[in-house]
Amino acid sequence: MQNTLRKSHIIADPTVSVSRLEEVVATSEEFDQVVAQALPILLDRAAGYTKRFLRETGQWNDDIEHEKFALRWGSEYLERFLVCGRSEVPCRPLFLFDSLVAKQHSKPEPFCYHPDLLKPLGRFLDGLVARAVVSRDALIALYHHSYGWGAGDVIAVTGLNGLESQRIYKNFRRWRESGWQRTMDEMGLTKPELAELENQRQRHRQRFNGEAERLIRVAQGHYRKSEPDHYPCLSRSQWGEMFTQGYGCDYRIWHLALCLDCMQTAWGLGSCGSSAEKPRLELQVRP
Amino acid sequence: MVQEEDLELYRSQLLDSMSERPVHSVRGLSDPIQVYVNERRVGELKGAETEGTLHVHGVDHIETVQLRTEDGQLLGGVVAPESGFRANRVRLSADTVELCVQNTLQGGSLSAVFIPAPSFWRRTWNSLADVADRWTVRRSESTMAYGFRTVAFTQAILAIAVVGLVADRVMIWIAPEHIVAPTVQAEALRTASIGEIEQLAKQLRELRLMQTKVGEALQSQEKGMTLLHQTMARLSSTQESVASSVVMVKEEMEKRQEGPEREADRPAQLPPGKGSVDQEQFELAIHGLASDNERLSKQIAGLEEHNRMLTAKLQTAIAHVAKAAEQGPERVVAREADVARKHQLLPVVDSRQSAQAQPFLFWVTFSEGTTQESIDQWVNGMKGHKGVQNEGWQEVQILPPPVPPDLFLEQIRGEKIIKEARLNH
Ligand SMILES: [Zn+2]
Repeated sequence: MQNTLRKSHIIADPTVSVSRLEEVVATSEEFDQVVAQALPILLDRAAGYTKRFLRETGQWNDDIEHEKFALRWGSEYLERFLVCGRSEVPCRPLFLFDSLVAKQHSKPEPFCYHPDLLKPLGRFLDGLVARAVVSRDALIALYHHSYGWGAGDVIAVTGLNGLESQRIYKNFRRWRESGWQRTMDEMGLTKPELAELENQRQRHRQRFNGEAERLIRVAQGHYRKSEPDHYPCLSRSQWGEMFTQGYGCDYRIWHLALCLDCMQTAWGLGSCGSSAEKPRLELQVRP
Repeated sequence: MVQEEDLELYRSQLLDSMSERPVHSVRGLSDPIQVYVNERRVGELKGAETEGTLHVHGVDHIETVQLRTEDGQLLGGVVAPESGFRANRVRLSADTVELCVQNTLQGGSLSAVFIPAPSFWRRTWNSLADVADRWTVRRSESTMAYGFRTVAFTQAILAIAVVGLVADRVMIWIAPEHIVAPTVQAEALRTASIGEIEQLAKQLRELRLMQTKVGEALQSQEKGMTLLHQTMARLSSTQESVASSVVMVKEEMEKRQEGPEREADRPAQLPPGKGSVDQEQFELAIHGLASDNERLSKQIAGLEEHNRMLTAKLQTAIAHVAKAAEQGPERVVAREADVARKHQLLPVVDSRQSAQAQPFLFWVTFSEGTTQESIDQWVNGMKGHKGVQNEGWQEVQILPPPVPPDLFLEQIRGEKIIKEARLNH
C-alpha cells in the first residue's frame, strides 16, 4: 500500500490531505492509504511539536543541529503511529497522531537530550545506542563499535553457547549489510561527517576516545532504561554466578553492551579468560 | 543556504525511508520477534515452525505493545486501552502474532502468541525439515515416510486397490472357469455384462494413465529431493567450516595478543557469506518442490474424484450384474477384498504416528522470585515445552526420561528453581 504511494509526498496537496486526516477512517487499509498520502504533513507536524517542547523546556537553539533533532524524533513518532494507529480504527488520524505525540512528550524524559549529542560524534553515538534499544543487530554491533570486537570476541566475552553464537554471526552480517547505513541515514550523518570522524579517530586517538567515552555514558545511561526492569547493574560475584551457571544469556548480552562499567566488572568471566587487559573504549566508526 | 539544503535532504531522506517501508516485512524463517511494552523490551517470541508464546504480567499500565525484527524494523503492534481488553492480529508474511492486552486497576498484562501459517507451504516446509532430519540421521529409512508423500502414496495405493478390484471383477467375468458358481449363472454373466466390461476396461486404461502421471510427478519430486539433500549437505558442511573457523579464530586470538588490530572475525566472515548463497539455493529448491507438490496434489485430487466415479460405476455394474444372476458369492468376496485392502492402507499412516514417542507430562511449581526467563531456560534445557498453568502449577512436557518417573521427579525437586514437582495436578 505504502509502496505504491511512494514519492507521493512531492505532489500531495496539503490542504486536501489535512482535511482528509480529520475525517474518520473506518478500516486499517483506509488508514494506511490516508496516512501514506500525508506523510510530509505529519512529519512536519511532529517535528513542530518536538521543537515547541524543546523551546518550552529551555533546550532549543536556532541551529541546524536542533532542527535535525526535531525532525529525527518527528520521524520516530511517525513510524510508531503508522504501525500502531492501524489497530485504533475507526479513528480520526490527525487527532490520534496529536495525542500520540502529546503522550510521548508527557513522559519524564521523552528523548536523550544533551547539546554535545547534537554534534557529529554525539549524533553518531546517540544513533548507535538508540538503535541498539530497538534492534538486536545494533545491540551486538555496539560491542564492535565500542571495543573493535568481532563476532568471535563477543561470543567469548559474553560466554555464549553454540546456538546463541550462530545468531551473533547473523547479527553482525546484517549490521554490515544494511543496519549501519540505515542508522547513519536516520541520524542524518553525511559522508563528509563520517569521513571526518574517521579522520579524528586515526589522528587524535586518545582525545577522540576520551570524548566518545564521556558521550556514550550519557547515551547509555538514558537508553538503558529500555532494558527489562530486572536487568540492573551487578557486582562481580553476581556476574560470576551468572556466567558459571550459564543462565541470563539475554541479560549478559543486553546489559554488557549498554554498560561500560559492568563490562569492566564482568571482564574475564567469559571464555576469553581474565589474562587480557580490561577493555577500554576504542570507538569504531565503520561497521 | 548549504545548511538549509542539508536539512531538506535529511527531511526527504526520512520521508523516503518511511514510504519505502514494506507493509509485510521480510523476516528470516527462524528469527525471533522482539516484543516491547511501553517501548521497553520485555522478551522475544520464538517465531519458527512451532507456536510460541510470551506472557507479561505485573506491568503498571500498558500503553503500547510493539513487535520488531532483529534489525529493529517495526512489524506491528497495538495501543492498549485505558482500561479493559484489546486483541489485535499482526500478520507477518504468512504467519500471525496474536496480541491480547489488558489493563485493569491491578495493572497491565500482555499475551503474545506466534501462530505459524497453517498453510500448505508451512506443511511442506515442515515435511522438508523432517526429511532433512531423517536423511542426515538415518539414511536407511525409507523415503516414503514423509508427510506429503504418505498422502501421495496412500492415494496411489488406493488407486491400485481400485484397479485391483476392477481387475478381479474383469478376470472373474472373462474367465468363468475360475468360478465355482453354477454354469447357468456364468452364462448369464457373460451375456449380461459385455458392454459393461468394455466400459470398465476403458476406465481401467484411464486409471493406468493417471497412475503413470502420478508416478512421473513422484519421480520429479524425487529429483527435487535429491537436489535438496545436496544443498542440505553443502549447507551443513558450510556450518561445520564456520564452527571450525571459530575454533581457529579463538586459537589465533590466544596466540597473538600483541597485534594492535583485531581481525578475529575476518576468517569467520567468509563462511556465513557462502552460507547465505547456499541458503538461497536451498530456498529455490524448496520453491521448486512446492510447485511440484501443488501440481501433484491437483493430480491426486483428480485421481480421487475419478476413483469415486469409478467406484460408483462399479457399484451400479455389480448391482446390475447381480440382478441378472442371483446374489452370487463373488460380491461378498469383492466386498471382503475391498475391506481387506482398506485395512492394508491403515498401517502406512499408523506407523508414522507411532514413530513419535508419547511425551512425558509432569507438574511443577517454582521457587519464590523465579523469573519467567529462568523458567523458560530450565524448560528449554530439558528440550521440553510448557503446557497449561493451573493454580500456580505449571505443566511441562518432555521426551520420556531415561530414569523411572519417581526417580526423575526426585531429581527435578533437587533443582534450585523448583519448589515442588509431581506427576498429576
Ligand atoms: Zn551496569
